[in-house]
Amino acid sequence: MPETFTIHYFATSSQYTSKNTELLPAPLKLSALFGELEQRYPGIAHKVLSTCGVSLNGEYVDIEEDGETVIQTGGEVAIIPPVSSG
Amino acid sequence: MSSSEPTPLPAHLDPKTYPRTHHDPTQNIYITLTYETLDANTCLSQTASPAAGANILFLGTTRDTFEGRSVSQLSYTAYPPLTLKTLAGIAEAAVKTHKLEGVSIAHRLGTVPIGEASIAISVSAGHRGAAWRAGEEVLEACKEKAEIWKREEFVDGGMEWRANADRDAEGRIVGSKGV
Repeated sequence: MPETFTIHYFATSSQYTSKNTELLPAPLKLSALFGELEQRYPGIAHKVLSTCGVSLNGEYVDIEEDGETVIQTGGEVAIIPPVSSG
Repeated sequence: MSSSEPTPLPAHLDPKTYPRTHHDPTQNIYITLTYETLDANTCLSQTASPAAGANILFLGTTRDTFEGRSVSQLSYTAYPPLTLKTLAGIAEAAVKTHKLEGVSIAHRLGTVPIGEASIAISVSAGHRGAAWRAGEEVLEACKEKAEIWKREEFVDGGMEWRANADRDAEGRIVGSKGV
């Protein structure tokens, strides 16, 4: 079993990737996350991710300020687009 | 979803893992995420208190049009690890600011038929001023922050994910983007 982390997509990000969730290779630095996604889904960084938040293991993270943080094997990342409850 | 790669449904998209709730008895806070019909009386009774003279209930119901296009179906998804925390934080802030006797926030997920409630908020306070203000404040905070997404499918085909930041409380387009 390869070492992976889970990434969840919502709303526009799930539309763009045509996925709700997938496994990506771990470990991965947060600063490399958007680059990894851009490689898999060309155009996603500008069209979708630029307006999205990111959470790691249930807490919001800043992919620039927390760029050195490493997503470990078994970690859970979520891409959080602009919300629309109510 | 591509059918060639069957990935198991993540727990947060599986209705069987709901309702997901958070309850804080010390502040009388109830948070509910559910695939079932929302019940206004349940919501009101959760915040009822002998110390409360004012009880405000807000029901947000699904509309059948968006910018003149007929909406055939709406559905909502959430990410409970964040959503429950965010909603609890909103409720706690309102209790503190407005000295509330109770707050209940319930959001429905999955397909919500047109005209049915997608969100129910009840706040109770000693007097009506605080309750009115808190009710509006809690709703606006939910719309701004809660990690829940609405998908509209249109009668003329197509679907769109909505973003609350594009609209104000009167339904007007915010900023220059949508003009």
